Amino acid sequence: MSKPILALPSKGRLKDQAEQWLGARGLRIVQSGGARGYSAALEGHAEIDVRLLSAREIADGLISGDLHAGITGEDLLYDLAPDAAHDFETVARLGFGGADVVVAVPSAWIDVDTMADLERAGAAFRKRHHRRLRVATKYLQLTRQFFGAKSVGEYRLVESAGATEAAPATGSADVIVDITSTGATLAANGLKVLSDGLILKSQAVLARSRHADWTPESAGALGALFQSA
Amino acid sequence: MSEAALIDAARRVFAPGATEIDPAYILPADRPLELSGEAIRTRLCTFTDARGAEWVMRPDLTLPVADAELQRRLSGAKDERVYAYAARAFRLPAAPDDPLEFTQVGFERFGALSNPDADVALFTRVLEAVDACDVHSRAIMMGDLAIVPAFIEALGLPDVMQARLKRAFRQDGGVRALLDAPARGLDAQAKRILASADPAGALTEHFSQAGFTLMGARSADEIVEGLSAQAAEAAAGGIPARAQAILHALGSLDCAAGEAPRQLDHLCAEHSLKGPHAPIAALTERLERIGKVRPKALAASVFRASFGRRFTYYDGFLFEVLSDGLTDRQPVAAGGRYDGLIAALSNGRVSATALGGVVRPDRLLRAKAAS
Repeated sequence: MSKPILALPSKGRLKDQAEQWLGARGLRIVQSGGARGYSAALEGHAEIDVRLLSAREIADGLISGDLHAGITGEDLLYDLAPDAAHDFETVARLGFGGADVVVAVPSAWIDVDTMADLERAGAAFRKRHHRRLRVATKYLQLTRQFFGAKSVGEYRLVESAGATEAAPATGSADVIVDITSTGATLAANGLKVLSDGLILKSQAVLARSRHADWTPESAGALGALFQSA
Repeated sequence: MSEAALIDAARRVFAPGATEIDPAYILPADRPLELSGEAIRTRLCTFTDARGAEWVMRPDLTLPVADAELQRRLSGAKDERVYAYAARAFRLPAAPDDPLEFTQVGFERFGALSNPDADVALFTRVLEAVDACDVHSRAIMMGDLAIVPAFIEALGLPDVMQARLKRAFRQDGGVRALLDAPARGLDAQAKRILASADPAGALTEHFSQAGFTLMGARSADEIVEGLSAQAAEAAAGGIPARAQAILHALGSLDCAAGEAPRQLDHLCAEHSLKGPHAPIAALTERLERIGKVRPKALAASVFRASFGRRFTYYDGFLFEVLSDGLTDRQPVAAGGRYDGLIAALSNGRVSATALGGVVRPDRLLRAKAAS
């Protein structure tokens, strides 16, 4: 019947690192239509259908079951999955694509260093301004869960499409939740990470969907890849 | 009985003396989200229009009915008003077998005296509607969201910490998240700024030296205020062991409703707490009266001090009626007091005592099928 679908990152550093990781296991990606094409194959593995997609599309596809397996970021998988434990399974953490999802506030807020401080500042802010502090992020679910677990409720989410770190400077939000690897981008934007504001230490993973249409053939076709991971 | 027949039966219970209302179906998403925060978003049916403004389908009737009452009070009305409705509401399902769109039959009462009499009248009215649908309850969950705040106030903590505990009580992590957070003192820089004659000026000077830029709506004054609050908390040295023990005992209080006053009194006596007596007396009186008019319902009732803490605008008595064939998260009926809502919605311009209750005919139908 139909082949299992393996989704790989289509661009950027994640794409290069995924190719290297596969290469180290003797698997070579052959891209059709040149370097900008979006269909590909694993050389010598015609039984696997390879798709090149954005990391977000891969996470979405694994969660919905449209894709059987893929390489993407944990940050996206955990943020987008309604029920992570039942939606996907991590086959292997790959040791690259590392980034921390963190809560950051303006460095000028010298009274706010912890989530508890942010809660207090948020409550005082709401009293004074008759609205809640705005938190800009791409990570809506992770933010909601983390803030809830820390008993921080005095905030509103603003969905950010890109350049989240600029939101406080442009006035579209007061606080951000974003990924950072060194913190340099945050610092350059006048922001600091809260001392207990680490939401997730994320890296790239090879994950399999729990909702995909798994047949003995599709499981068998991807079995060798899962074994080598 | 069909669902339509159940709707009619419940409606007849709530209609006497009430004004029929079917308020706005669609509200600005800011209305519930600014009021209750992001935690409720997971259950809201929201959509965005072409200009990017976010809207929400009414998740229950209480909020739009309170909005209508708020308008009436802003134009000068001060009298009591009862609204009744049989109306559609929209909520993302908590359980896979729950519908997204459903009917609530209920009433909301504004401006009556806030006392045990009114609480009991609410409770019995909602049970009458369940009875009218010929459904038996397997249990009733009860709480009173005035109890924990009253205990917090009696702990002798600084105001900033009291306020903070009250807020944490209503969040997912509860007060636990706060008790676990390490207490922290101010650094030398912050102390120097607070000690200066012009703290906001000293802060601004510190910014220019450190290369910080103040961004967004939060001002230097607010940061100084934050430092003062931090200093007050640090001076109090965290939440003392006695307060932690009381909050812990209160958080795990889960008993037959009739037992609750005795347990709460015992907790006060054990820790020599003075203060929470007024809400305990109100609870006692309410339960005694319920015991007189509805002895079976009282016997089936369980009281939890933290019950309903996530139901954002309720602030007093509240209850849920559970039935066969449905989970504890799928009550067939519910009600409660929310005296603070009108004031919160109007930023304090007007206020009115309020309570209300509903039945869910779709669930009543399932309960009937299960029994």
